[in-house]
This record gives sequence, structure tokens and C-alpha cells, in this order.
Amino acid sequence: MAAACGGMLLRAARPALSARWFSSSMCRMSSDGEPTKFQPPPKPVIIDKQKQREERRFLSPEFIPPRGRTDPLKFYMERKDMIQRRKVFNIPEFYVGSILAVTTADPYADGKTNRFVGICIQRGGRGLGATFVLRNVIEDQGVEICYELYSPRIQEITVLKLEKRLDDNLTYLRDALPEYSTFDINMKPVSHLDHEEIPVNKLQVRMKPKPWSKRWERPKYNIKGIKFELPEKKMKEAQKWKQPWLEFDMLREYDTSKIEEKIWREVSEELNK
Amino acid sequence: MRLSLVAAISHGRVFRRLGRGPRSRLDLLRNLVTALVRHERIEAPWARADEMRGYAERLIDYAKRGDTDERAMRMADFWLTEKDLIHKLFKVLAPRFQPHPGSYTRMLHIPNRDNLDRAKMAVIELKGNPFPPLIRPRRDSEKTLLNQLLKGYREDAQRAAGP
Repeated sequence: MAAACGGMLLRAARPALSARWFSSSMCRMSSDGEPTKFQPPPKPVIIDKQKQREERRFLSPEFIPPRGRTDPLKFYMERKDMIQRRKVFNIPEFYVGSILAVTTADPYADGKTNRFVGICIQRGGRGLGATFVLRNVIEDQGVEICYELYSPRIQEITVLKLEKRLDDNLTYLRDALPEYSTFDINMKPVSHLDHEEIPVNKLQVRMKPKPWSKRWERPKYNIKGIKFELPEKKMKEAQKWKQPWLEFDMLREYDTSKIEEKIWREVSEELNK
Repeated sequence: MRLSLVAAISHGRVFRRLGRGPRSRLDLLRNLVTALVRHERIEAPWARADEMRGYAERLIDYAKRGDTDERAMRMADFWLTEKDLIHKLFKVLAPRFQPHPGSYTRMLHIPNRDNLDRAKMAVIELKGNPFPPLIRPRRDSEKTLLNQLLKGYREDAQRAAGP
């Protein structure tokens, strides 16, 4: 390697290529014939990490009340209780597709605690009954456990890998090859800096042969994270169930931006007290 | 166990079942919305007018975003089957309702239809339309007891405030 570099340098020493090894300012003098002004180096870009962290707001989906005729007082009271629990116990930010480790209190286990590691498949429920389902394959047996976020039995939630996937709901992993749901229970947490954006894992999962628990190829599930290896005829037939008028049905839209703003302000005020 | 309990119980359902299915329901409402935007006052069966009211108001909310907005244009393109009305929606109706935050339509009852079905009818109109008003809200005359008492109170207040 050094000999090759030496060889290159020797080649460059020839008069035809000698101009390349001069400094840049001297090059300019030779081409323009006038003395060039001193160009100061470009200003360093300061990434204000504090501001970036503040700009990236995350409101856990269970705070957003569903559309309905219930009294907002009920949601307000639930929110107070949720904030109270969060002050005592840290519930980290996570999304569907992140890998979590949860330790719960178990009276019948060794050391009275039970630790489970898995990928979050879905997050359901609103208010204090919010749940999340973790999936893992242990000794060739797929295991899914549904935990309640605000249950007092949960002693610790750690995010081992924070990432998002292409879909909101990864229940199709039940019909995917088991390698996509296996995670090492002793895996080390992957560090994630506060100010960085959440990485989106664009993994396309391969499925077991049909029959599946649900017909995932149908447009109503709108799944982007499966690599369908079905014949073209089957994919075309699945498009028959497409409901193109549904995207134009304006009354089905639930615009949560204003509600989220209000709740975010309320929650962050309370938590920072 | 009846497997179609979902179809039998309709607690909390907000959408009525019109026409031959969900697609037909949207087509029916789309025709009514187009007619409303064209004529600004139409008569229709009460249930259909009630369903249509929500869609018409949301359409005007979309139109208020402006015609440069891609989504607003797609919505207007779907909901108005006669394409000359898209221009009317964005250029006439949206500026007319710009100061209002909501409730751009008025719905009133009408005597039942004269056909054999005697259907419950309603008239639905956009506010600010050029036609003469359907109802003239008549104020109570000055001679009623309440109005006389209020008049006396007002005069007393003036006399106390004046000199």
C-alpha cells in the first residue's frame, strides 16, 4: 500500500501533473493573473440540540380522547391520574415496531419479578386502560403478552431499540416467518440520541404460505411492510375489495391537531412541575 | 349465537343507511351536495338533507383552504359532479363564508310530500343566498308584559345614568 502511494507520488512529480500538488490559492493566481482575496472558512453550523429536542414533541397516543359523546370531564380526570402515575414511574417514548423489555411483579416467579423482551405489535386503548402487545419467539413458540401501560404491577419498561415501522399495526407478524419475530432476550440496548429523528425501518417481511389469520393482501388493512409473493391474479382479485370512496368520506376524518396541542401543553406543564 | 349481532344493534352509529349500500349512499349525498351548490336552496327528504348537511359544511371548510391546496381540489372534484360548480365553490361560496367559523346551512321542515309515501321533507339552503327569506323572525309586540317591564327598566337605568 505504502509502495503504491509512493509510486503515485513519484508519478505526480512529473512536470505535466505538478500543478495539481500546489496549494489552491497559487493555482488561482496562475489562472486569473490577479491576486485573489482571502476567503474565510465557512461558519460552523451549530446544531442546537436543546431546541431540537423541544421541537420534537411526542404525545403518547393514549392521551388523545376518542370521538364520541362522553363528557370531557371523564378524560380530564383520567389524564390527571395518568400524569400522577407518570411522575412516579417513567414510561418511555416508544412506537409500534420498537423492541422493549418489561419487568412485572409476579408472585410465583423466582425473585418475584418476570422479565419479557419483545417487539411492540400494537398499542390499543385510551386513558388508563392503554395497552401494548409485545411479541417474541421463545424456543420456537411464538409468545405475545399484552401489558397495560399504567398497571402498578409493571416495575420497569426499557426501550432496547427505538424505531418505527411502515405500519401502525404489526399483527401480520403472526403469519410471517418466525425469524422476523425472534429477538434475543439478553440483547443490549441500542443507544438513541435525544435530538435525532426516529429511524423508520423499511423492512418488508416475508410470509409463511397461505392460509393466514387475516387476508393481509386486501386493501382495507393497507399494509406496506409485507413482501407479497402471491401471483398477480390473487393481488388483482384482492383489489376488488377496494373502497375508493372511503378517502373522500369527510365525516369519517378525525382531526386531532388542536386537541393534541391542548393536551400536550397540559401534560408537559404538569410533568415539568 | 347470532353471528350478525353487529348488524342488528346500532348503538352509537352516526351514519344513516341510505340507498343500496355505502357507495350508493355517498353517490346520493353527492348529487344532493351538487344540487345545493348549484341552486343554493333545495327540497329533499329530511333524512337525506340531514346527512348531506354535514358533508356540505365540511366541503365549504375544505374550500376555505383555497384552491391551491391539492387535497381541497381533489375533494371538490369528487363531491361536485358538475365541474363548473368547482369554480363557484372556490370563488363565490368560500369568500362569502370566510368570516363565519361554521354553520353555513339552514334546514327547515316542510309539509309532507304529496305522493303516496307522504315522506317527511325538509328544505336546506346556504345562508346568504339571493332568494327571499323562508321565515321572517317576528319580534313580539311592544305591548306584551315582559316587553313593557323591560322598557320600564331601560328607562329607569337611563334616568339614573343621565343627570
